[in-house]
Amino acid sequence: MSENLTGLVKIVGITILLFVLWGFLAYQVPDNFLKPNNIENLLRRTALFGILGIGVSFVIISSGIDLSIGSLVCFTACLLALFLSVSYNPYVSTDVYEIKAQQQKLLVGTNAEFRPGQTVRYYGGRRARNAMLKVTAVTPVEYQGRPAREISVDQPLTRDDTADKANRSVGKLAAMYPISQISGNHLDLPFSGLAPRDRVWFVHPERGLKEKTVASVKPSNTSRDLSEVSFTESLDGIDTTFIAIPLARKQKMSVPAAILTVLLIALGLGMVHGLLITRLKQQPFVVTLCGLLIYRGLSRWLSNDQTLGFGNEYEGSLGLLATGRLVLWESETSSFGIPYSFFFLILLTIAAIIFLNFTIWGRYILALGRNEEAARYSGVNTGRMTILAYVLCAVLTGVGGILFALDANSIAPSSFGNFFELYAIAAAVLGGCSLRGGEGSIVGVVVGTALMQTLYNSIVLLKIPDELEYAIIGAVILVGVTSDEVIRMIANRFKRD
Amino acid sequence: MLDVLRLSKRFPGVLAVDEVNLTLSQGEVLAVIGENGAGKSTLMKILAGVQTADSGDILIDGHSQTFESTREAMNHGIVLIHQELNLCDNLNIGQNIFLGREPKLAGIIDRREIHQRSEEYLNQVGLDVSPTTVVGTLTIGKQQMVEIAKALSVNARVLIMDEPTSSLSSNETEALFELIQQLREQGVSIIYISHRLSEVKRLANRVMVLRDGKNAGELEGDAITHDAMVRCMVGRDVSQFYSRQRHETGEVVFKAKQIRTQDWPQHELSFEIRAGEIVGLAGLVGAGRTEVLRSLFGITPLLGGKCQLDGQSIELNSPADAIQQGMCLVPEDRKQHGLITDFSIANNVGLPNLKLDQHGFGFSNFAKQRQSALKMQDLLGIKTPSIRQLVKFLSGGNQQKVVIGKWLAQQPRILLLDEPTRGIDIGAKEQIYKLMEQLAKESMAILFASSEMEEILGLADRVIVMHEGKITGELAHHQLSEQAVMQLATGNLIAVNQKTES
Repeated sequence: MSENLTGLVKIVGITILLFVLWGFLAYQVPDNFLKPNNIENLLRRTALFGILGIGVSFVIISSGIDLSIGSLVCFTACLLALFLSVSYNPYVSTDVYEIKAQQQKLLVGTNAEFRPGQTVRYYGGRRARNAMLKVTAVTPVEYQGRPAREISVDQPLTRDDTADKANRSVGKLAAMYPISQISGNHLDLPFSGLAPRDRVWFVHPERGLKEKTVASVKPSNTSRDLSEVSFTESLDGIDTTFIAIPLARKQKMSVPAAILTVLLIALGLGMVHGLLITRLKQQPFVVTLCGLLIYRGLSRWLSNDQTLGFGNEYEGSLGLLATGRLVLWESETSSFGIPYSFFFLILLTIAAIIFLNFTIWGRYILALGRNEEAARYSGVNTGRMTILAYVLCAVLTGVGGILFALDANSIAPSSFGNFFELYAIAAAVLGGCSLRGGEGSIVGVVVGTALMQTLYNSIVLLKIPDELEYAIIGAVILVGVTSDEVIRMIANRFKRD
Repeated sequence: MLDVLRLSKRFPGVLAVDEVNLTLSQGEVLAVIGENGAGKSTLMKILAGVQTADSGDILIDGHSQTFESTREAMNHGIVLIHQELNLCDNLNIGQNIFLGREPKLAGIIDRREIHQRSEEYLNQVGLDVSPTTVVGTLTIGKQQMVEIAKALSVNARVLIMDEPTSSLSSNETEALFELIQQLREQGVSIIYISHRLSEVKRLANRVMVLRDGKNAGELEGDAITHDAMVRCMVGRDVSQFYSRQRHETGEVVFKAKQIRTQDWPQHELSFEIRAGEIVGLAGLVGAGRTEVLRSLFGITPLLGGKCQLDGQSIELNSPADAIQQGMCLVPEDRKQHGLITDFSIANNVGLPNLKLDQHGFGFSNFAKQRQSALKMQDLLGIKTPSIRQLVKFLSGGNQQKVVIGKWLAQQPRILLLDEPTRGIDIGAKEQIYKLMEQLAKESMAILFASSEMEEILGLADRVIVMHEGKITGELAHHQLSEQAVMQLATGNLIAVNQKTES
């Protein structure tokens, strides 16, 4: 039997199984299964999990294992969310060092100028309530040897308060600007620093605070001192009695820098796995099990165990990677499109096939998976190739993590990515990878992933109690991987009789 | 007492055993010989219950039996000692001997009983080690003796030995032969499989020859001669010993200066190899020959000393380094180190050459790989329907040719071979000798380790003899004799020196 034939038989078998399952679902629950939305979802999930499956298959083919995938998905997702986190702070604001309630005075820093008659907002303090104040006088003073300003206001302040030893401020003071003219979704402001995607707080003493996003800014026709600001939403409910606080958008890292950093970190972690396994002779199972624990812990710590997300900051830009789709067919009530992430999977699949089958490194990884000693005796740098396998796995996991994060847009660090490593490994095994190493095909892994996701889908569609989800997936994998052996045994039995 | 009638066994693509008949009477030593792939091992595996026959009968004392497992065969007194030993490295001798049938005292393994009885069996096989020794720490020769002790412990009536002496030193071999004699007197029948015809001639009452899975003749008593056996096996006459034509050797290519291996760090070794020279590395099992070759190839890097290629110092810290310098190794353990048996011939031959043959940017050049595999198939006479055949389906000789073929595409300066003809049939052996000779003629430097005296004597221009990690002497071609080699190999320097002086 030639080298690739056994593998081919496996792939054909599992592909048939996939088609049978599809046929069954299309027959049994045609309305739900064939719904464009459902198929899109299936494609999207297959794409995301398929990327993890391809990654882990390199490691499995090199006769290793990577259990850290799920945690690494979470870790890279958290990192991406943190790197791309966006904050909005008033353009003109300064720290408040001290509040003198009796004298109705605030002691503030000098990094923003305030004038008598101006309205300001006090916010973010630890011990005093938010308030809208009118400046009556500004006097330069000194505070702990630094220049400061003493600002008198028209309203009584609550509670005396002083910045602590570490000079953490008591709160902040921000400049507010009157609104001169509102029409539709644009208005005039006496502030020229705003840029698109910035935001504006509209504050009213009684009607509270509203936040709107800036669409565009241009000089006003009515006055040289005013800017005409357009907003993405309508300004219903806001009138000239509101006072505006312009907020500057601050993104922690640019999108390319964030993605590159996340992938480099994943690459580094993969290299650490590989080095521990090859140089310190640790077992892959143990190394990556520790990875599983470490990355999960780090994720929860970095995020303070808070659910992270991107809000709607990257809709229409980076988010399209995971949520966008190429619309193929459209009607008034529904439409069908292929998710971009699926194209991504196809590209990665082709690249992985080329790498594994048409480059010398792919051949080296296959060889060392079959017989590491013989590969070494053939002059293959088996250590370096093993490291390469773990690096590829980790980087693909990082890519998966980024896509999963954008897709979910809600990353609960304690559970995000749980069991993903097992899904990936199971898909690889279903697709013909042997945990003994040296065996496996990329196409098989992708088909295996599709089968797993279809199974998951069918549990939902057939209204099987979802408590049974893991049990059913487990059982099917077991049947899948033992079937060829069982068939062979039965065939032998018949031959003998 | 044992009769085999028209036994057949088919594997995918080959009829391994084809209607073979065999009879064995009590206390008889029956040698079964044949080239590799003749069906000896399969036949024995069927007898021992490792495999089941497709058709035919096995009669024990006239009763037909089929064995579904080695345990069943064992219950009928048939025990196979495999060529590749079947011991658990991590257990001690006693635990191995009684594995699966431990004597128990109130449900708990009776260690004392195991110890005592193991000691008895060890005494019987002449192995002077404690039963509590962990098997993995023993030499292969001693592990073999443990296997035999294990067989004795089940009161074997038929003991099948598959190449029992292939890893034994001469002392151990001698002890084994005595043991066989002794067992035979006790009424144990022995089926003895070996390529070593001198042993067969010495031991066997009767010789059964297999060829291509069929009975190819039987020899008895005085009719058992080297020539007759060989004629039966290959169906043609071959010269009894291989002898080659000598030619002039060239400049010194490789020089080892006071090198120390990790296995024998206390000894410094120095030697040189010339272009076109075939140097034999002789010694008993465990003399350190394999370790030297492995170290030179960078598997276990040298601890000290210097290696020079054409007078330039070279580093040999990994096989990749060694290959870079044009030094290639054909390892002792073909299946474990030499080949990836689940890969095709083409892929095995291609593996070390992938980097050289690539299109660039790491893309494999399949056409070139195919060409060089076809060239090697042609050059080395690898018998196969296709170079896409998996190596595991090839005979030992053809497998070895694939290993050599891997390296020839590299055009090595120095070829190291460790037991190049182990487990290979006579026809293939001769081809490999011819090939080594041819390569030497093309001024390749060859260093080969061998346990077969006739190989050392017949092939080498010069012989380096080792004993317990030391080089005990070098013999030029005119000094070569079996006697001289054995003296050095047993560490007996004085006798040799006297002899060469006189």
